[in-house]
Amino acid sequence: MMDALLAGLDQLFTLSTMITMLLGVVAGIIASAIPGFTITMAIVLTLPLTFTMDPLQGVATMLAVYVGGYTGGLISAALLGIPGTPSSVATTFDAFPMARNGQPGRALALGIWASFFGALVSAVVLIIAAPPLALIAVKLGAWEYFSLIIFAMTVVASLVGKSMLKGLMTGLLGLFIATVGADPMMGVPRFTFDADLLANGFPFLVVLIGIFAVSQLLSEVEDADAIQHGKALIPDDVSFRPLDALRETLSYPVNLIRSSLVGVFIGAVPGAGGSIANLLAYDQAKRASKNPETFGTGNPEGVIASESGNSATSGGGLIPMIALGIPGSAVDAVLMASLMVHGIGVGPRLILDHGDLVYGMFMAMLLAAFMVLVVCLFSMKLFLRVTDVPRSVIVPVVLTCCVVGAFALNNRVTDIYLLLGIGVFGYVLSKLDYPLAPLVLGVILGPIAETNLRRALMTDENWTLFFTRPISLALLVLAAISVGLAIRHHRRQKRATMA
Amino acid sequence: MSSPTSTRSPQGEPSSESTGRSGPLAHLILNGTLAAVFATLFVRAGDLPSSMWEPLGSGSFPRLVLAALVAINLALILKEARTFAALAPAEKGLVGRWCWRHRLAFGVLALFSLYIFAVPMLGFALASLGFLLAGQWLLGARSGKALLIGLVVALVFSFGVDTLFRDVFVISLPRGLLG
Repeated sequence: MMDALLAGLDQLFTLSTMITMLLGVVAGIIASAIPGFTITMAIVLTLPLTFTMDPLQGVATMLAVYVGGYTGGLISAALLGIPGTPSSVATTFDAFPMARNGQPGRALALGIWASFFGALVSAVVLIIAAPPLALIAVKLGAWEYFSLIIFAMTVVASLVGKSMLKGLMTGLLGLFIATVGADPMMGVPRFTFDADLLANGFPFLVVLIGIFAVSQLLSEVEDADAIQHGKALIPDDVSFRPLDALRETLSYPVNLIRSSLVGVFIGAVPGAGGSIANLLAYDQAKRASKNPETFGTGNPEGVIASESGNSATSGGGLIPMIALGIPGSAVDAVLMASLMVHGIGVGPRLILDHGDLVYGMFMAMLLAAFMVLVVCLFSMKLFLRVTDVPRSVIVPVVLTCCVVGAFALNNRVTDIYLLLGIGVFGYVLSKLDYPLAPLVLGVILGPIAETNLRRALMTDENWTLFFTRPISLALLVLAAISVGLAIRHHRRQKRATMA
Repeated sequence: MSSPTSTRSPQGEPSSESTGRSGPLAHLILNGTLAAVFATLFVRAGDLPSSMWEPLGSGSFPRLVLAALVAINLALILKEARTFAALAPAEKGLVGRWCWRHRLAFGVLALFSLYIFAVPMLGFALASLGFLLAGQWLLGARSGKALLIGLVVALVFSFGVDTLFRDVFVISLPRGLLG
C-alpha cells in the first residue's frame, strides 16, 4: 500500500499536473456558478482535453473540476437563489435568505469552509473505509433502490414549502414528467403525441434550468417599482471574513461531521448523488437543531449541512466506482469513461493492477479540496462583485446562459422551447406557493424509480419483498416516519398560528 | 393564469394587499385543470403496451403516478374550495393593479419568448445580441454609460459565447442567418 501511495504521490506532484488541476478547480467553480452548467457538463467538456494527458493527470484534472464544481454551485445558490447544480438545491434554502438579509459574504464563507471540510472528510473516509462501504452499497438491490427513492421523495416533499400536499404534488409531477419520452426498459414512446418537441422527453437539465433559473429570474423582475428605484439584487454589505466563518463552521462540529458522513454514504450509493445528499444532510440538520423553525431564514447550520453534505459525495461516489466499477453518479460515469479511454479497466482489480493510480486519485481528491479552498478564499471577493452587477445586466445574461445550457446538452433546438414552457409553468407554480425542488428531484429520480420497480418485479413478482427485505423495510419505515413528523410539524405550526 | 394569489412574495416578503378569494380561485383553476389532464392521461396510459417479460408494462408506472396525482389534486381542490367559501371577494381592480406591478416580468417574459423563437431563425449570436440589448434597455439601462456597458455585455455574451463554444468546446450553437 505504501509503495503504491508513494508512486501515486510522485506522479501527482508534478508541475504540469498541479497546473492542470488548478485550472480544473477554477473552471469547475466558474462553470457550476453559472446556472444551467452542471458539474456533469463541466466534466464532459473537460474530458476531451484530458485525452492527451497521462491517466493520472487526466483523472486528477477532472477530479479538480468535480470538487471545484461542488463549491461553485454554492455561489449562484447563495447570491442568486438559483442552484448552479442540482446538488445545491438545499443550499438555496438558507444561504440565499442569508445573502438577502445583507450577509452574502458570510453565506459564501460558511459554504466554502463547509464544502472544504465535507470534501476533506470524504477523502479521508474514501482512503480508510472504501472497501467496507462499497460492500454495504452493493447490497442494495432493486427493492432497496426503489424504497430509497420513496424515502428521498417523502423527505423532499416534507422538507420544502408550507404544505406537504403541494410538495407531494410537485414531486409526483416530476416523476410523471420523467415518464414522457421513451420507456427506459422497452423503448416505447409515452405521452409524446407524435410531437418532435416531446419525442425525447424532458431532459432533467432543461427542467432544472427552466424551473429554477427562468422562473426565479422572472420573480426577480416582477416588482417594477423596486427595480425602477434601483434596488440591488443583494444588499451592499459584501464583507467577506473567512476566519470568522471558519470559527462559526467549527462551532457546529456534530452537524459538520454528520452532514459529511451523510454525503459520503449517499455518494457511495449508486444513482443517489449530491442532489439527495444535499437535501438529506439539510433535513438531518434541521431535525437535530434546537431551532428548526429558523431553517429557511438564513440559518448557518442549514448552509453548513447542505454544503458539507454535497461536497462529501465527491469522495463517496468514487468508492463503488473504484471498488466495483459501478459509478455513483453521472460525473463518476464520465470519470470512469476517462480511465477507459486510457485503456484502464475499472473494477475490483483496479486497486490490484493500478494501485499507484488509485492512491494518486485519493491524494488528488485531498489536493483538489485544498486548492478549492485557497482559490475561493483568495478570489471570493471577485465573485462577490456579482452583487454589484445591476439586475438589468444579470437577468438577460443569465437567461442567455440558460438557453446555451439547455441547447448545448443535446444540441437540440426543441430543448429551448421546452425550457420556455417549463420556465413559465414553474413561475405559475411558484406564484401559487408550490415548492419547486421536489419537481426537479422527481424528474431526476423518476427513471431510477421506475427501472428499479420494474426490475424488482421482474426478478420476483412478490410485492411483499419491499416490506420483508430489511434495508428496504427500514427505508420505507423512515419514509413513513418522515411523513408522520412532517404532518405533526404542520399541525403544531397551524395550532401555534391559531393560538 | 398566474394570479394575484400569493400572500407572500418568493423572497418571503408579506404582501400588504388583501387578495380575498382570488388566491383560492387560482388554485381551483390550476388543480381542476391538472386533475382533468392527469385523469385523461391515466386513461390513455392504459393503451400503452404490456410486456411478456415483466409483470409491469410501459403504462403501469405512469398510471401509478397519475392516479396519485389525480387524488392529490382532488384533495387540494377540496381544501381550496373550503378556503374560497370562507373568504370575501377580492377588492375591485386588484387584478389590474397586480398586472401593472408585474409589467416588467411580463415584458421580460415576452422578450424571452421572442428570443427563444428567434434563435433557430436568426442564429444564437444575432438573436442573443438583440435580446441582451433589448432586455437591458427594458430593465432600466437607459443612460449613455449604461447603454455602452450593455453593448459590450451583449457582444461578449452573444458573439463571444458563440465563438467560445464553436472554437473551444466544439459545440455549434444554432447559426441561423450566419450559417
